[in-house]
Amino acid sequence: MIAGILFYATILALMGRNPVEVIYALARSFVSPGIVKDFLILSMLGYALYVSFKGALFNIGGEGQFYIAAIGVIAITLSLMPWSPGQSTAKTILVIVLAVFVATLLGGLWGLLAGVFRGYAGIDEVPVTLLLNYVAYYTVDYLVYSIFRGRHTYGYIRTDEIPEAYRLNYYLPPRTSSGEGLLGSLSSLAYQFLREFALYYAWVIGLAVVALVVYFVMYRTRLGLLIRIHGSNSDYLRAIGVDVCRVAVATLALSGSLVGFTASLYVLGYLGRLPYPVEESTANYGYIAILVAWLAVLEYKLIPLAAYIVAALRDAGINLQVAQLGGTEQTFISIGLLLTVFTVVKVFTEYRIEVRHSG
Amino acid sequence: MVEAYAGLVVDLVAAFATFYLVAVGQSIVEKSGVLNLAIDGVFFLATGAAVYGAVSGLLGFKGPLVGTLVAGVIALIFGLFFNWITTVLPLSQGALGLSLMFVGYGLGIIIGYPARMKVGNLADYAYPADTTTALATLLAVVAFGVAAYFMLERTSLGAAIRACGENPHAAASMGVDIVKTRLIAGALGFLLIGIGSSFFPLMWLRGWDVKSYVLGYGWVAYTIALAAGRHILLLIPFSLVIGGLFRESVRLQAVLGIPVDLSKAVPYIAALIAMVFYSMTKLKKTLMPPSSLGKPFYREERTI
Repeated sequence: MIAGILFYATILALMGRNPVEVIYALARSFVSPGIVKDFLILSMLGYALYVSFKGALFNIGGEGQFYIAAIGVIAITLSLMPWSPGQSTAKTILVIVLAVFVATLLGGLWGLLAGVFRGYAGIDEVPVTLLLNYVAYYTVDYLVYSIFRGRHTYGYIRTDEIPEAYRLNYYLPPRTSSGEGLLGSLSSLAYQFLREFALYYAWVIGLAVVALVVYFVMYRTRLGLLIRIHGSNSDYLRAIGVDVCRVAVATLALSGSLVGFTASLYVLGYLGRLPYPVEESTANYGYIAILVAWLAVLEYKLIPLAAYIVAALRDAGINLQVAQLGGTEQTFISIGLLLTVFTVVKVFTEYRIEVRHSG
Repeated sequence: MVEAYAGLVVDLVAAFATFYLVAVGQSIVEKSGVLNLAIDGVFFLATGAAVYGAVSGLLGFKGPLVGTLVAGVIALIFGLFFNWITTVLPLSQGALGLSLMFVGYGLGIIIGYPARMKVGNLADYAYPADTTTALATLLAVVAFGVAAYFMLERTSLGAAIRACGENPHAAASMGVDIVKTRLIAGALGFLLIGIGSSFFPLMWLRGWDVKSYVLGYGWVAYTIALAAGRHILLLIPFSLVIGGLFRESVRLQAVLGIPVDLSKAVPYIAALIAMVFYSMTKLKKTLMPPSSLGKPFYREERTI
């Protein structure tokens, strides 16, 4: 981590920027309430991908699973069970639950599809999941453009807004007065964090659910054991007569369904509608979550920490823009370099390097 | 009518040249056993470098050819680093590639954006949009491809590159210098990726902006390479058809009634079907991925 940041600062210095200012902006992001949103989403997605990575299945199809699931939420909330004035609370809850369920199912099916290619046709899951991302993007684009095209969008091509009744947010009022001095600033900052967590309360619950499900499946069930053995030695599974293809399919389906679950909360708790074309306005969470899982070195407990670091780096990009120290490129470079250095340095923690002189 | 066809030829050649060269480059890199998931980042970086080269007046030169050259050199440097580090260190090629993809996006903006802002219309610095230029480009690009095919299939260097991808340990025991061979494959492959990418802003779009990176055209080239089983000659029809689908998606909608978005999904579905087809037929032997693709050289098997 530190090596990555120092390397990044050196590059900035070479570019004529003041590295201290940039590092200050980076550091500030680590205590910015703005990272709560990304932290929660990336933690959930990190756990979703953890399942497949643990089984040595490189699911880079999070993006596709995310948006295919998101369109399910749109279908339920806007098209199949639209909100009507005077609707009962029971029906509202039913619609929300159904939307989350359908999204989880769709994400799972998209993952399952990749699993079938991987398991039964023997094609590497990397290209398959990647290709399915684009199939998902364009399928969603087609649906947003045609069936789900909104009527109240001020001329923009996108879906309508999901009705307020279905949105999963809780607004705490802004604080009117804050104390003075350091204590006052700290309590104000803590309140801002609290407001963010309240705003995305459903994601907090969602993260707890995802973390528990993943822990339970991976460490308390036969499937979890099979996934973990698949990750370390799939030949052994074959030797003891386990259907390895089915394990691959189940792993990717489970991973995809957790991505789908996350996507539903994201749409209901933040996005509120789907834009067109979706691939041009995606936050790339599906890809960034890969980095989260990787940064956590596939350690269950480290996923939230990795999500926090990556969320802070994403936020830093915005801080740097505000401070006129750069733009989007700083987000890309800081995340990319950090992970690059991490990937390289990690090798040296796993291997001991010996220099031997012959003769 | 003739003008319309000429316009179509110019459009198609631009798409073909971009995708074909990038896919050939990607195929050479991956034939050597290095999994390149940085492709989209390198693609974007090279487009930024092309814009920089075309408009900046580097050493007193400017114009599309300089842009192409700069893009090729920048991609080549990137590739040398990538192929070197993935060969000498037993790290996850997939993770490193995706990390460097982000670096590529960032560097692309840093290199290209200030240059882009200096000029009004990038089309003034792009390749001429006429049939003579298009046909010359077509010939040059196909010649590059055929040369790459002969290099890979008929020379000892090509045999060494393929051996590195299939079984680097066996190749090393037979005297092949794995690091050197993968460096050469990286240099050649990424050079072509850079040159091909330069055609995107300077011939296809005849424009460039920082939002271009989200379009994932590097991934399209990656898909084409997969769909054609990394076979250099088979890449020609695949690049033409898929490039055509992308370039002419609007026209296809008008003529055949295929919705734009669905026609964009076709290449990806085609690539999936093609891969299933290869895996289930005798083509598996020639068109499936190299056996050691993405596997660290120093350990038997370890990807995340």
